[in-house]
Amino acid sequence: MRMTSVQLWATVAGVFVIGFSIPIWSQVASPARGEAVRNPLTGDPKAVTQGAVLFRQECVFCHGVSARGGMRGPDLTTGSWSHGGSDAELAATISAGVPGTAMPPNKLTEEEIWQIIAYLRTLQQPVMPPTGDARRGETLFFGATRCSSCHIVNGRGGRVGPELSTVGSGRSRAYIIESIREPGRRLSENRAFGGDASLKYDTVTLVTADGSTVVGVPLNEDTFTVQVMDMNERVHSLEKKSLKSFRHENRSLMPAYDLNRLSDADLDDMVAFLQTLRAGSSAKKGGSHEDL
Amino acid sequence: MRTCRCLPIAGALAVVSLAAPPAPAQVTADRLVNASREPQQWLTYSGSYDGGRYTSLDQINRTNVQRLTLQWVFQTGVRGWHETTPLVIDGVMYFTAPDNHAYAVDVRTGRPLWHYQRNLPKDLSLCCGPQNRGLAALGDRVFMGTLDAHVVALDARTGRVRWDVAAADADKGYSFTGAPLAVKDKVIVGVAGGEYGIRGFIDAYDAESGRRAWRFYTIPGEGERGNETWKDDSWKRGGAPTWVTGSYDPQLNTLYWGTGNPGPQMYGANRLGDNLYSDSLVALDPDTGALKWHFQFTPHDVHDWDSTHTPILFDDTITGRPRKLVAVANRNGFFYVLDRVTGSFLLGRPYTQVTWAKELDASGRPIVLPNTDPTPEGTRVCPSGTGGTNWHQPSYSPRTRLVYFFSKEQCDTFMADEKLEPPHRPGRPYIGSAFFAPPGEHDEAAVRAVDPKTGAVRWEFREFSGAWAGVFSTAGGLVFSGDGQGNFIALDADTGRDLWHVPLGADVHSAAISYAVNGRQFVTIPAGGALFTFGLPEGTPSTAAARPGGR
Repeated sequence: MRMTSVQLWATVAGVFVIGFSIPIWSQVASPARGEAVRNPLTGDPKAVTQGAVLFRQECVFCHGVSARGGMRGPDLTTGSWSHGGSDAELAATISAGVPGTAMPPNKLTEEEIWQIIAYLRTLQQPVMPPTGDARRGETLFFGATRCSSCHIVNGRGGRVGPELSTVGSGRSRAYIIESIREPGRRLSENRAFGGDASLKYDTVTLVTADGSTVVGVPLNEDTFTVQVMDMNERVHSLEKKSLKSFRHENRSLMPAYDLNRLSDADLDDMVAFLQTLRAGSSAKKGGSHEDL
Repeated sequence: MRTCRCLPIAGALAVVSLAAPPAPAQVTADRLVNASREPQQWLTYSGSYDGGRYTSLDQINRTNVQRLTLQWVFQTGVRGWHETTPLVIDGVMYFTAPDNHAYAVDVRTGRPLWHYQRNLPKDLSLCCGPQNRGLAALGDRVFMGTLDAHVVALDARTGRVRWDVAAADADKGYSFTGAPLAVKDKVIVGVAGGEYGIRGFIDAYDAESGRRAWRFYTIPGEGERGNETWKDDSWKRGGAPTWVTGSYDPQLNTLYWGTGNPGPQMYGANRLGDNLYSDSLVALDPDTGALKWHFQFTPHDVHDWDSTHTPILFDDTITGRPRKLVAVANRNGFFYVLDRVTGSFLLGRPYTQVTWAKELDASGRPIVLPNTDPTPEGTRVCPSGTGGTNWHQPSYSPRTRLVYFFSKEQCDTFMADEKLEPPHRPGRPYIGSAFFAPPGEHDEAAVRAVDPKTGAVRWEFREFSGAWAGVFSTAGGLVFSGDGQGNFIALDADTGRDLWHVPLGADVHSAAISYAVNGRQFVTIPAGGALFTFGLPEGTPSTAAARPGGR
């Protein structure tokens, strides 16, 4: 006879829960109580393997094969969780989804959810407390390194690059460092399945009919037209047929901040500042603009 | 209990009563066989049984297509990709929207006549959204396959349910997304669920009673020929769905239908063997469901290359003699032509970048290159997991003798780990890892025209990436297509030159159809959550006469 999911979970966990009609985590009313509900499978090697299998079945299309973030979902290895990081909160997020986001409800058994969480726990990058000086990083960001000429943070900055007001909660330290040192590396990772496949921050270079050259980022593009924001934040609407040349550079407009542009010490300060930028810490409430 | 909303709409009835009322649909089997003699209608999914998606109407043509103007828009208000192909029958247009909405509208005005909405369970197993690709018509009924794996017959005049049969268990991952095909007295439907460990099939239902007449399992059972191509009992959950409408040859009395990927898609270690009849074209007797022949395009597929494309049936001289042929531009990157009497392979040639096979051998079997299977670290293979083409409707023009189809230039990194065998849980994903775009690469799309006598690409029209539209060709020398950014596009069928386009504001996920009302030709295309109908202003001169078959 096939066991029900709850029975199976109870067997594995060694906890008498038969008769629960709703998942155990959903009975947790507060985060404080949520801390009390623990994943019974944490550290169980078999559960971790099974969790990896399930992750590849259920989660990879949005969160990426190694859970480092993908087409629609954030990096799950940062140790930073936008919707709560306790076992119970993660279980609730996986089970019920996050309304208003791309995270759907999932038809998984309790045991399967605990297995996935057991697997995710093995991926956590050590949470490295910022070692740099966030205040100095902020000064650099809005000053010498000119980051704010393209990036907006909490209402201050330019428009050509992605907004970074919550970058600290959606991206790991390693990702942020990579994005500064090698900004073009993940340009195509946001290609959506069957959706708009434009490379949002790809650089385009074009020459108009009158011979002037425009370099910028495409705000939009279709088969016949392109709308480009140039470095001066001017928007150009152009018919492709009218152009003398039009080229996707397949690189970021952002220069690579290598050691010549940004020392390791300055980088450390910059990352410390960016890691302070978290959901809820900004003035982004009430909108839905996403640039991560 | 499931109920439906079948609402006659008062305003629409008023409109109908003022104008000449559309005659009630009476679609006989003979009318379906001879659909090309009624180009003013659009009677089946592909417009005719041959899968050609071609109209002999030429009033709209290369000289006047720039004058096309909007006639009416019907907004469904339903979210999701509208992949429907409308039917046009005796003054009424019938079509569907995601979540099994079905509509009948006055084809002259777009005013609704009735609306059916199915109440669906919330937790259906659907890989790719609540899609539906349209209806079939026979007698005074229209037929729809549903996402909860039922087949329903609706009264063409009212939308009321005439019968509703459960074909399979939706809790086990079975669903219907494709448009059925009516043949003689039967309604043929193909199943979806290749990502959920189903055992695929093609069903036929008696149009009058709803009784199931036959079922052809696309994976042979124990003791049947082909079952030995599956390791152990993997055949029980091996996928091979049939989610796109097939074609039919009345003279040969043969049904041609494509089959989808084996499951788990990216993980082949637990289903060693060719995995018949996945990724194949099967030729069936429509009266009994008996298999006449099969041709497998991708044996033991581990890249998700469903071969569910609508087969194109045409006659031409190839390899020195006139033949009855079937053409398929396959998701695996090759364009194929087979003898449709015998299923023998005649021609196969890549139409896009192919890195997984060196070539096809004399029997059409791919000569697979080493190190192209998914690995834990990832293997870059072209075409991508979504294929060199996908389900989107192809077209064949007897005027140009070219096959037109949507195509992609895209590669993917395929990942799977033999040590991580996916568990089979009925109704849950059974995939075995995933595929992704390699960093730094982005996809490109094109409409391509291939000469089926040689397999050579005659022309291509490059579109911006993200395009997922089907194509439709006309005797007016046009090929209609669309792009992922919402442009509805008319190309020159001979050269691929773009002649006209209009932005519709949302991506095009289906192909256009054409029909005529009171001697005027119209074109309808779904985009976003709406159907748009275009026509020439009354009195527009047409250099080509409005006659079937003209140039």
